[in-house]
Amino acid sequence: MNCGFCGKQIPTEVVKHGCGGCPMAGGCRKICCPHCGYENPAPPKFLQRWLKPSAAPREDDPA
Amino acid sequence: MAVTTSPTSPERRIILVGNPNVGKSVLFNALTGAYTTVSNYPGTSVEISRGHAELGGGRYAILDTPGMYSLLPITEEERVAREILLKEQHHLIIHVIDARNLERMLPMTLQLIEGGLPVMLVVNILDESERLGMTIDIALLQEKLGVPVIGAATTRKRGLKEIREAIVGFDGQRRAVFGYASDLERDILKVGSLLHGDYALHPRALALLLLQRDEEVARLVAVTEGGGYAAIEAAVNAVVFERRSDLHLRISLERKRVCRGILEGVIQQEVRSGIPFGERLSGWMMNPWTGFPILLVALYFGLYKFVGGFGAGTIVDLLEGTLFEEIINPWAIAQADQLIPWYWLHELLVGEYGVFTLGVRYAVALVLPIVGTFFLAFSVIEDTGYFPRLAMLVDRIFKKIGLNGRAVIPMVLGFGCDTMATMVTRTLETVRERIIATVLLALAIPCSAQLGVILGLLSGVPGALMVWTAAMLVIFLVIGFLAARVVPGEQPMFYMEIPPLRLPQLSNVLVKTLTRMQWYFLEIFPLFIIASVILWAGKLTGALAGMVNLMRPVMDLLGLPSEAAAAFIFGFFRRDFGAAGLYDLQTAGLLSPVQLTVAAVTLTLFVPCVAQFLMMKKERGWKVSLGIFGFVSLLAFSSGWALNLLLLATGVLS
Repeated sequence: MNCGFCGKQIPTEVVKHGCGGCPMAGGCRKICCPHCGYENPAPPKFLQRWLKPSAAPREDDPA
Repeated sequence: MAVTTSPTSPERRIILVGNPNVGKSVLFNALTGAYTTVSNYPGTSVEISRGHAELGGGRYAILDTPGMYSLLPITEEERVAREILLKEQHHLIIHVIDARNLERMLPMTLQLIEGGLPVMLVVNILDESERLGMTIDIALLQEKLGVPVIGAATTRKRGLKEIREAIVGFDGQRRAVFGYASDLERDILKVGSLLHGDYALHPRALALLLLQRDEEVARLVAVTEGGGYAAIEAAVNAVVFERRSDLHLRISLERKRVCRGILEGVIQQEVRSGIPFGERLSGWMMNPWTGFPILLVALYFGLYKFVGGFGAGTIVDLLEGTLFEEIINPWAIAQADQLIPWYWLHELLVGEYGVFTLGVRYAVALVLPIVGTFFLAFSVIEDTGYFPRLAMLVDRIFKKIGLNGRAVIPMVLGFGCDTMATMVTRTLETVRERIIATVLLALAIPCSAQLGVILGLLSGVPGALMVWTAAMLVIFLVIGFLAARVVPGEQPMFYMEIPPLRLPQLSNVLVKTLTRMQWYFLEIFPLFIIASVILWAGKLTGALAGMVNLMRPVMDLLGLPSEAAAAFIFGFFRRDFGAAGLYDLQTAGLLSPVQLTVAAVTLTLFVPCVAQFLMMKKERGWKVSLGIFGFVSLLAFSSGWALNLLLLATGVLS
């Protein structure tokens, strides 16, 4: 997942388990970008499949 | 270099590094084939891929690292990638970069080279850069960098043969040195000359990392140097103190400057129709002369027309005015009249502050359509990459109020929900910035639902929205300006890389909008129900009437009818609940245009909701949060009082 503000990739661990260290950790349904601090919405499972892999990153993912 | 493997070692190790999404994994798979292992890096949950390659009769171990943006790590992935560079033996480091973003990615190549690492550069995704009309002179880039550079498009198997040949013939002795500005060079020398231990990185690179306050490197140097570390720490502190907060920015800018010099003559951009439109638009968005008109256009169509007009107007009229007021509520009240003989229960469910007639109606018919349209507009703007450009645009103004462009993050998020945005103020660099941003969020940034209701209400009264906007803007800037003078502290610099501007993706926008709507609804629904129960209890016990009476003199001062006190009491629970109360007053015809505007301004400025206050207390402590609470309440009512007098005296809106 890429941050909606700085465009950098948010590590999978942060996406899966939240950023930690904040009073809302785990329950805020947000993913805090470790690079810039922007709060990205954490899509629930039923919506995740609509996030196309090609659309999620800001740069083309050749991998 | 202590960890470099000897060319005669039976198995030489190659480490692949680079930003995420540049094709490292494709290259790894191409070099290693099917036999690879994936395991967690020791002591972490970060996965690392390892494999082997037979090249030119020699056997190589290949290691694919997690994506990293710089040698100065922020995430755990970056920490692991750097640790691999520092601790794993290596024969060769292959840095893979995206040909379309050379200027953004080359600074890390520079860091690797100045670290004394045996680097080979792979300029990948050449096919895409060529499609964009770019021609990259690989030979010239190689000459300037002093390390092997290979052009490739690994997904199309282009350049793989050359990469294999370059690996076999790699000679790690060639290395260029890049010079920074003389004062920075002096600082590097001052620290670097004190490093005498055996490190994987060159003292020059270590000195730069120490000056950038890299704690892990500081620990490593402390352990390696032992008694000599005190002098190093003193030298670093002296330089950091002398250069103050702009040292980090200075190093980044110097590296950028060197990269621009290296890339001169390396990239030829085919002139098709001049600069691409996306780049021109990006420049316009950050230029004050064109950026502010673009911002106004985005606010006019995104907020005023779409959220205020369509969301708070058309959809709310349909849901609240038609569906709830004409169909659902009369039916529910009729059912309650027939089935519930007890007054208290009747009131609790369908009374003036009933769970159904107030709580559910506010949440479903008023707030949900407004936040839905707001989040849709927000997600579209977010997905284009406009927000970092907004940060650059307002950086200069924000500096006048003690903040910088980085504060756009909590401010923009505050329009979604001030409570969460208050928490995000912790990402600001200094305590001073955090306090100023918290004050401004509590005071002058309305949350989405509050903003939507106010836009919907005021857009029906000519001139009212203009007065409200002007009042908010003046108060935001004046209070920010004064706070910057009252709150002591340093002013950090702001620097960020701007991601590419792009067309919003429909699926991304819809997923983000629905996710935010779901989150908001789940958060507000129980709170709205609890708030209506508290108000119901207040009505039955007479406590609510007592509070309304208590606030009557304040309402008189503001020139508002006493019924308006209820909206302010609602506002204690949630900002949007208060705004919804204002909506009811207006639809009941209780407010003149002047009264509506004064109430909207006062209610927007009025105390943060309970959740935001608790978050303020959590982030800033009791003393600061109570101080902000008192200040904001006092300022809200004084501003409302002054605005009422001004509007009555000038006859505006009368």
